[in-house]
Amino acid sequence: MANSSFVYVTYIRAPQQKVWDALTKPEFQKQYWFGGHQESTWKKGAEWKMFMPQHGLTDSGEILESDPPNRVVIKWRNEFRPNLKEEGYSRCVMELSTEDELTKLTISHTIEKENAQFIQAVSGGWPRILSSLQSYLETGRAHGDTRSPAAQAHK
Amino acid sequence: MSNAFVYVTYIYATPQKVWDAITKPEFAHKYWMHYNVSDWKKGSRWEHQNGDHSGKVMIDGTVLESDPPRRLVTTWTRPDKSKEPSRVTYDIAEYNPGLVCLTVTHDQLEHDPGMAESVSGGWPKVLSNLKSFVETGKAENIWLIKNKG
Amino acid sequence: MAKLTTEPTIYVTYIATTPEKCWQALTDAKFSAQYFFGQKIEGDWREGGKIRYRTADGGEHIEGEILACDPPRLLRFTWRIVGMPALRHLPDCIVSYRLEAAGEGVIRLTMLEEHPEGIDQRLLGGGRSGWPAILSGLKSLLETGAVPKITPPTPPQEMLDYMKEHGA
Repeated sequence: MANSSFVYVTYIRAPQQKVWDALTKPEFQKQYWFGGHQESTWKKGAEWKMFMPQHGLTDSGEILESDPPNRVVIKWRNEFRPNLKEEGYSRCVMELSTEDELTKLTISHTIEKENAQFIQAVSGGWPRILSSLQSYLETGRAHGDTRSPAAQAHK
Repeated sequence: MSNAFVYVTYIYATPQKVWDAITKPEFAHKYWMHYNVSDWKKGSRWEHQNGDHSGKVMIDGTVLESDPPRRLVTTWTRPDKSKEPSRVTYDIAEYNPGLVCLTVTHDQLEHDPGMAESVSGGWPKVLSNLKSFVETGKAENIWLIKNKG
Repeated sequence: MAKLTTEPTIYVTYIATTPEKCWQALTDAKFSAQYFFGQKIEGDWREGGKIRYRTADGGEHIEGEILACDPPRLLRFTWRIVGMPALRHLPDCIVSYRLEAAGEGVIRLTMLEEHPEGIDQRLLGGGRSGWPAILSGLKSLLETGAVPKITPPTPPQEMLDYMKEHGA
């Protein structure tokens, strides 16, 4: 099956439950996700939505699998960029495990389309967000807006 | 898809620069040792001409899709039409500002195993040289490079 | 039959530091020993110079030649594994570290591992399991002053199979 995928692994010096909470609770997401947050009960079958301050609703979908604090699978579609929305739903797997003093976090984001623009977009976004998450949990300070001035102007 | 080749290269450049490297004859000549000649509109003919200025056409075909600077799809045909055409897709994606992920897919090679073998050796050299040319302005004469023993 | 690939491995991270501090952490043995699985980097920091990563006991693990050295922006070098008999026969990879400003006291570090001469597809997992651990540790070092202990990730099974086939 032709598909596009992006996989990113990072190791964060924080307990696994804290990393899970940071990934799934809006009061933490807003600290490091560049002002964005998500709304969901995170139970299997539940709705899932993402919001960014400048745009309102940006992404939506459904929780396909949920095993806190180890694994969640999200059905995920972009809602505010027509060329991304028309590519349809992607599948995002977040896996957490404890290794030594660290939490290993693996994000696997796939869509059933070759050279998908959606995957191109998240390939740029995930490292920024997860680097900001690691900084937030390890130092208390997330990263600011790291987009170039030109990109900030577009959004 | 057993006869599809997929090559991924990361190039520090804008998508436009990578598009130009593929589609402007004087640039292709620098790293591919051939001229790529076309107006690159959908339906137009394209020619891969020998770099010796003879104008001899080594490969030709038709532009199937053209979406500059993001995507170009062409057929890839032996000029004597002795075999079925294959197809080449160039996807030029901006991975980060100033960093392009170029994916070249060469498929539909089932009926021309000789071409498949030839391009499987050729594409990596061409794309590595394209990267050097776009990033540094310098390229090697790839057809002179001997394999390391 | 071995399936060869030229597919690269890329890893991008954002670190709250300066390019100069990150460059130092990438090229100085007292830093690399903390996040690069105990290995000490040494180099003759110019185009054409040699570069090495040594294990704690002083043995050579990686050696290579510097292709580009433009502090604090770009370091690009060939990468040959000399410390593992099962992998010594492999063609050189090319590794590069590119450092760019990314706004508000943050830099973007892009590690690119290229395989221009093609390698067995089963070996890609080595870098894909190693680099995240190394570069997450580098980030922690630069942002917190310390690197937590990490056991080097076990290579994926298919890579272990390859190594077994080649005398490991």
